[in-house]
Amino acid sequence: MGFFDKAKKLLGLGADGDDAQESEGEEHAEPGDRLAAAQAKVAARSVAERSDPRVLAAERAGKLDPRRKDRRPPLVEAAPQGPSVEDALAAREAGDKDGAQKILRDIDRGGGLRTVLRAAAAMEAGDKAELNSLLTAVANEEPRYKLLLQVAAALDDAEAARPYIERAEAHKAPAWALGWAKATSKDPAVVREGLVELVFADHALARTVGARDLKLPGVEADPDAGSRYASFVHGRESIRRFGAKAVAALLDEARKVGGP
Amino acid sequence: MLSLYSLDRPALQAFAKELKGLLLSDDREGLAKLLELSGSLAGRLAEAPRAIDWFLRADTSPEAAPFFSSLRRIAKKRALTLAWTSEEASLEGRLRQYDILREDGEIAARIDKLLSPARLPWFLVRPGATCGWLDATGRAQLAEDLRRLRATLPPELAAFAEGLQEVDGDAVAHDAL
Repeated sequence: MGFFDKAKKLLGLGADGDDAQESEGEEHAEPGDRLAAAQAKVAARSVAERSDPRVLAAERAGKLDPRRKDRRPPLVEAAPQGPSVEDALAAREAGDKDGAQKILRDIDRGGGLRTVLRAAAAMEAGDKAELNSLLTAVANEEPRYKLLLQVAAALDDAEAARPYIERAEAHKAPAWALGWAKATSKDPAVVREGLVELVFADHALARTVGARDLKLPGVEADPDAGSRYASFVHGRESIRRFGAKAVAALLDEARKVGGP
Repeated sequence: MLSLYSLDRPALQAFAKELKGLLLSDDREGLAKLLELSGSLAGRLAEAPRAIDWFLRADTSPEAAPFFSSLRRIAKKRALTLAWTSEEASLEGRLRQYDILREDGEIAARIDKLLSPARLPWFLVRPGATCGWLDATGRAQLAEDLRRLRATLPPELAAFAEGLQEVDGDAVAHDAL
């Protein structure tokens, strides 16, 4: 038994009993004996497979490909993925708000961006029953500051965004998140303030925001901030495409039931 | 080579506050004065739409490199005092890999803090450099732990242990300052 086999055995992964004896026996056999033993093993497996009721059933159902030596059933193409937030947004942009709302209902998992957009669509459609069933989930979204800042950034209006930024500050938004929201404002003084705060809070993210959001000449995205950037920006862009004012109105409604 | 510096934490905080204030108000003249820039460099600072834009560029870009370099130089002058410099290029590898140090969770954690750039302000970090900060208590404890293990340590680590004793208060490690 080699070193790794001993290690496996110590870890409870090694072969025991008959299997162990068989393999040890093989280790010392002559080459001709080993070939015969291997052929006998294949033949025995083949007999065992033929008598396996699952294999027989599959054979009768035509699920086994007789041309394949390994007798595996043919590969089935993966089922197409279900609809996504992207499909709902595309439907809205094409003017099909009802279709978009149906997609959002279908893909809702009870929390996160899908639920937020579904609730905003229900509110927009005047469906109070559906809105009320979702409002608590929207109000309890964590972290509490995130949606507020995503909406503030998506509003593209410094005055309209200010109360959402203030509410996020009151809910302990971290400096990097506040800095980012301010850095994408339309007000140049707020942009400068946001960039400075972001540089001091998360320099790699500041560079990435400078390159991707502000497209500043000579500035390049920092790969170290890639995942932090992506986690915030997907929500912001989806809210912007859905209609930031509608989502802002939803957050105001959620505030009445304990939202931030 | 890795060096150890004594950190004057209040002085560093004051420098960071002054720098942030100048960047927030976009006071180019004040910033040029703080960074001791003159001539064409001071003029270049005024070329970007905002002063902060220079510090979003890569540290290695030829246009921005002098500004980053000045920032580090002034921050060092204000808040850091050189205590010790290693003579061995292998020191960092030993600190990160030497099994006797790694087997002790507390020692390993303190070393990792001292070698973590995420623990230093952005203006002291240089891309690809090894650097970090350890507070006075952690530095004293690490120095004591290494002193206790000195008989088992290779020469570069034994020298590092003595270097840590030379540091007064908080310690900053840096190999490109």
